Amino acid sequence: MASVDANASSSSSLALATTYEGDDIALLESVVQLIDVIEISPDAIAQSDGKRASLRPEILDEYAAVASSVDFIAHGVGLSIGSFDRWEESYLRMLDELFERVELQWHSEHLASTVVAGENVGTMFPLPRTEQALDVVCERVRLLQERYRVPFLLEHVIQLLPDAPAEFSPAGFLNAITSRTGCSLILDAYNLECDVFNQGLDAMAFLDELDLRPVRELHLAGGVEHNGFYLDIHSGRTRSDTLALGLEIIRRAPDLRVVTFEFLKEAVKVLGHDNICAELKDVRRAIQ
Amino acid sequence: MTELETYQRGLLDLVKKRGPAPSDPYLRHVAASRELRIVQEIAVWWRLFQIEAQCHFTSLLLKRLGCFHDTVISYFNENHTSPFVEELSRGFLESLRTHDHALVRMVARFEFAFLEVRSGSSERYEILWDRHPDRLLYALHIGGELTEPEPGSVYRMRIAGDLLGMVECTRE
Repeated sequence: MASVDANASSSSSLALATTYEGDDIALLESVVQLIDVIEISPDAIAQSDGKRASLRPEILDEYAAVASSVDFIAHGVGLSIGSFDRWEESYLRMLDELFERVELQWHSEHLASTVVAGENVGTMFPLPRTEQALDVVCERVRLLQERYRVPFLLEHVIQLLPDAPAEFSPAGFLNAITSRTGCSLILDAYNLECDVFNQGLDAMAFLDELDLRPVRELHLAGGVEHNGFYLDIHSGRTRSDTLALGLEIIRRAPDLRVVTFEFLKEAVKVLGHDNICAELKDVRRAIQ
Repeated sequence: MTELETYQRGLLDLVKKRGPAPSDPYLRHVAASRELRIVQEIAVWWRLFQIEAQCHFTSLLLKRLGCFHDTVISYFNENHTSPFVEELSRGFLESLRTHDHALVRMVARFEFAFLEVRSGSSERYEILWDRHPDRLLYALHIGGELTEPEPGSVYRMRIAGDLLGMVECTRE
């Protein structure tokens, strides 16, 4: 089994990860034989009683049952690290609970805001690439690094809305965050493809400009095209173009540790267990 | 350069289709964009998906009445919605207490009570039906013809955690 080990040499093999959000033991039993790491989204395994959210104990038990076979990493959705007023304390409580129950190699979050002035926005707003947003994010990254003694990674999100006036390029903004905080990055090959398709991003120029040394994790996924836009709804297998971009990132990122095939729990019925397993085998072959 | 607060509050208002037209040039550009319609669609799509999964009978009834999509859009745009499906469903079903259609009020109240008790609430709920609830719910489930009200009959349904099967119903 390849490990997540953040200190491993760059020549060690890449670990393969996938999403698992519980309630499907058959899927867990199938994928656990094919992967090294499970990506846990605290938000996705939580329930709320109206007063507070907590992690569902039965899903934590599912993770415990396979803990001898795989490592775990956390990948959040709802921290809202870029909100102008505050981040989501409720997410941090869920993350605290996850750290108590599961040994996590690292945790990560999307570079976005999901809550504005206390109101859930129902989607993810990318951050405007400004000095002001940079200050907000870097201070919160620092607080996270103090709070949890494992590496913290940020993932760029797709830019679906028209790009806001900016003081940084997309890669330059990520470089500023990593150089200022020392945090690491997730690159999502499918998100980049969406930006190429929707916004005309030059992916190779982005990679040329990006400092790839902090990149620890690569996300692969398949999505949907809707009304002329690529959407980051992870509901399909990885397309060959996405995989090719992923392989280019693997070639360039010297300290990459994990490649994660992501899919939504809601997509499992459509994808099917066999397809998910076939995808994991294909990705393993491609990244070796 | 748009201030972060202006940017985020402005985008939220645009996604939720509320507030006056923005004065900020960037937000005006977003307001007129095709991309905003897509983002609005995605935000609502997630709520539709979650509500459909959690509020089975209410969703089926609203679909039957041809107003599921619009009802969810209105709820999303006019309310703070939770990212947690339990809270989203609770809020949505509560919002239907004042729905114009009596049958929607009944089914939503039944589903609200059932979800609450199933999630551990110690509250006791009572729902009065103007028709046999089992037959109505079965018709919704299989897509059959909706049963008609039974004049002179009231079905008193109680839902509580200490009842056998959580539900009992008597005809009066």
